[in-house]
Amino acid sequence: MSSRGGKQKKGNVASEQEEEEQPLQAVLVADSFNRRFFPISKDQPRALLPLGNVAMIDYTLEFLTSTGVQETFVFCCWMSNKIKDHLLKSKWCRPTSPNVVHIITSDLYRSLGDVLRDVDAKTLVRNDFILVYGDVVSNIDVSQALQEHRHRRKVDKNISVMTMVFKESSPGHKSRCEEDDVIVAMDSKSKRVLHYQKTQGLKKLQFPMNIFQHGSDEFEVRHDLLDCHISICSPQVAELFTDNFDYQTRNDFVRGILVNEEILGNQIHLYVTQDGYGARVSNLQMYDSVSSDMVRRWVYPVTPEANFTDQRGQGCTHSRHNVYRGAGVSLGHGSQMEENVLIGRDTSIGANCHISNSVIGNNCTIGDNVVLDRGYIWNNVDISSNVEIHQSVVCDGAVVKEAVRLNKQCVLAYNVEIGPNLSLPEGTVVSMHHPEEEEEDDDDEFLSDDQEVGHSKDKTRQKAFNPAEVGPEGKGYIWKPSVDDTEDEELAQCLWGLVLNPDPESDSESEASEESQDRSRSVSPEIDDVNAFQLEVLGTLQRGLEENIVCDNLVLEINSLKYAYNITLKEVMQILTRVVLEYPFQLQGTQLTTLQYTGLLLPLLKKWSPVFKNYIKRAQDHLDCLSAVEELFLEQDTHQTAMVKVLMKMYQLEILEEAAILKWFSTGTTTDRSRQLRKNKGLQKFIQWLEEAEDESSEEGE
Amino acid sequence: MPGADKEADLTERIEAFLADLKRGGCGTGPIRGSGETARETTALLRKITSQARWSNAGDLMEIIRKEGRRMTAAQPSETTVGNMVLRVLKIIREEYARSRGSSEEADQQESLHKLLTSGGLSEENFRQHFAPLKANVIEAINELLTELEGTTDNIAMQALEHIHSNEVIMTVGRSRTVEAFLKDAARKRKFHVIVAECAPFCQGHEMATNLSKTGIETTVIADAAIFAVMSRVNKVIIGTQTVLANGGLRAVNGTHTVALAAKHHSTPLIVCAPMFKLSPQFPNEEDTFHKFVSPHEVLPFTEGEILSKVNVHCPVFDYVPPELITLFISNIGGNAPSYIYRLISELYHPEDHAL
Repeated sequence: MSSRGGKQKKGNVASEQEEEEQPLQAVLVADSFNRRFFPISKDQPRALLPLGNVAMIDYTLEFLTSTGVQETFVFCCWMSNKIKDHLLKSKWCRPTSPNVVHIITSDLYRSLGDVLRDVDAKTLVRNDFILVYGDVVSNIDVSQALQEHRHRRKVDKNISVMTMVFKESSPGHKSRCEEDDVIVAMDSKSKRVLHYQKTQGLKKLQFPMNIFQHGSDEFEVRHDLLDCHISICSPQVAELFTDNFDYQTRNDFVRGILVNEEILGNQIHLYVTQDGYGARVSNLQMYDSVSSDMVRRWVYPVTPEANFTDQRGQGCTHSRHNVYRGAGVSLGHGSQMEENVLIGRDTSIGANCHISNSVIGNNCTIGDNVVLDRGYIWNNVDISSNVEIHQSVVCDGAVVKEAVRLNKQCVLAYNVEIGPNLSLPEGTVVSMHHPEEEEEDDDDEFLSDDQEVGHSKDKTRQKAFNPAEVGPEGKGYIWKPSVDDTEDEELAQCLWGLVLNPDPESDSESEASEESQDRSRSVSPEIDDVNAFQLEVLGTLQRGLEENIVCDNLVLEINSLKYAYNITLKEVMQILTRVVLEYPFQLQGTQLTTLQYTGLLLPLLKKWSPVFKNYIKRAQDHLDCLSAVEELFLEQDTHQTAMVKVLMKMYQLEILEEAAILKWFSTGTTTDRSRQLRKNKGLQKFIQWLEEAEDESSEEGE
Repeated sequence: MPGADKEADLTERIEAFLADLKRGGCGTGPIRGSGETARETTALLRKITSQARWSNAGDLMEIIRKEGRRMTAAQPSETTVGNMVLRVLKIIREEYARSRGSSEEADQQESLHKLLTSGGLSEENFRQHFAPLKANVIEAINELLTELEGTTDNIAMQALEHIHSNEVIMTVGRSRTVEAFLKDAARKRKFHVIVAECAPFCQGHEMATNLSKTGIETTVIADAAIFAVMSRVNKVIIGTQTVLANGGLRAVNGTHTVALAAKHHSTPLIVCAPMFKLSPQFPNEEDTFHKFVSPHEVLPFTEGEILSKVNVHCPVFDYVPPELITLFISNIGGNAPSYIYRLISELYHPEDHAL
């Protein structure tokens, strides 16, 4: 498609012109700040894990370089020495590299937020920069997005702080990571993000109405977007992270910006691309699908045979059915490489093997009659004869002995030995690290340096291997979650992403709990805000009753809750009314008779009348309160007769004014049921009495 | 130190060119045409000749070979790069021979016996130092560049000999050379062009737009209609990516269909190919011959679920065997496919065929 080519060229030229003034910079975060790849990432940082026999960080750097980035800051934390060594040896640090790579290491980074705060502190970026993780594989040409971003910044006087790059891909695509599934509401003309929410585990989605009320008249709510985890940020982003020290992830940031949009006036935009490929390897499920996309050439021109890292001997040939062979590969008699197979250099494969959809690293030895399907075999692995491997990852230096069968989603971490004659059940993770060492280590363990791993290794040596788990000649421990440590349980499950749990119920549960630990605030609170607030108010009132707290303090507490959950005043009043009126049910259950109900409720009303008075001030407040009362009694239709008594009491306590009650009675009839309610004899009598009282004098009520 | 500076600059240029080659081509081929690639390669080789450190022809050839190997490895499908490296090597050989006073032409016709006895001695003969060699080589490369500049014009000039009034001409996809060729003929003659769209990249659409802009009567057809339309066609004129050593073509996907249909209807098939597309490669070298790009155009990534269930391939090139080709039109005139071997031995030195 030469038209596309032309466009690309134009984009490059334009961005080059701007680059002449300011080199394009990028911030690459070579740390995931979580333990999703444990126990694999205990020995090797995630950015260096091989994907298609090339370290993941190389893909990210290649992507940045090809989009014209001239200066990249690589931030590493976990095992920073290894990343540094790797980068110094790679082509990116050669003097001829068009992309100057600076490596910044610190053990103090605990989140993306920390990194960006450091960027701000050191004033590394002077202009718009690209923010990516070290495990993003992409060939998207962002120069177009960059141009749009710059144009917006020029036109709108720095209102837009960030442009997120998304790729269009419909739901159900295997490269869509369920954890990263997002739903986005955006302004279709300006591409401004109005609402951004992770959808995982949520059955109901809620959009605040106010986002659709201003701005343009066309909106899009999209679920067909794959988050590429590539964002174009203005230098303000780093400043904003500094200002808001509680921002940990990009998610926090996006939500924060959207919530505070009116206050700070910052906006986030979206760039949706149809061609190009971009995905982040966030768990093994994604590792599997990105690897296979890579082998199937979706990331062209970044393909295995292109040898873009320019390493000697890394080159391989590409032949029919996407079979890639490195130099010095030997294949035994009768062995078949069916399709989508990548074999690294100097690997030898025995006779009658059957290999499909797999990636095999360098210097591996594979015996006879081996079946490999969706297997990811890294470097220097020794696999004996009659082994079967299905959709599993075998890390560097592992040894798989005779007649071992790895069922789906097994992981053999570094240097593990398995077998012979063993079948590992689905989802087994074997590691040289004893799971108990987790408990011995303190919580900061995953942020510490390699020394600690070395020293914990020594400890594990003392424990014996279990032959039932890893076979008679095996070495390694089943990486299983210790029962009391829920976090590890979560992580062990999540190594492969969510597909492990086909049951949607447990899915959402595990996700939610995982969320709460991993990214403390990323589950959207909005949906539950109102409910949570209601519960909190109930708790507050209960406590107030038990401990006899003064009403002023109750008001203070409810006010602070209001801010914590971002609830409007109107909602506060409705919820408060509701909570108070339902309180007798809370105490005695729903089987109360009307008499008992009113008996319990009226003293409470009297007690809390100052609280009500505090919130019900304007005429509109009175009406809102009344409609809340009405709503409740419409639900509890057996207690409708109590309504008059409640209204009477509230009137007597001067919570409600008679004018308001009369107005409510005359206007609010919208549905049949509420009309029915108004026909209630007691109520009509009450209203009549009120009307008469109004004629006489207002002191009557007291 | 200006010397080191120069060298750094040179390596930077080479690296940039390599990176460009690697990334070049999202669909049908590089962003630029092969003519441009040829010129750029030659210009870069000239720069290497003038800036690298060498004292005799042997050293220079070694440097050019080394860089040439890297360039061809960067994008094996881009044969023009390799061809230009071979041309420059040949120039060096000739200039060296001239400086020594003997004619390289004589060595061209080596008999089998001579080949057998000479062994690998020829390489050592390049060790003699000649002061004017550098200037001569650069001069010759400049001549080559001038030749490259004029190729498309030279081919287009021959158009009137091949296209007659009221003919129906079929072409496939988009070729800059064919475009120029047809436009040139359109200045004098009236004819009708049928363009096969060449899915999935549909370069044919662009070709048709360009042709109709100059007032040529143009029709776009789907690839599936090629055979049906062929009976009305008087001549098929196509471009190609590479002309192989056996006279076959490596051309854009769909060309083989056109060639077979043309053969069936005995329609002459004319290939417009400048000399720099002539490659000493044979079609059996499997791994570099094919080029598969992202399957995005065939089945978009947005499709979702189906993608995990099927394998999608998107090859870019077709092989067209020499039997199906009637005539090659190059910048030095028309040739039959059977004559290609001769041209190759004139253009490149047999010892350089494998870099």
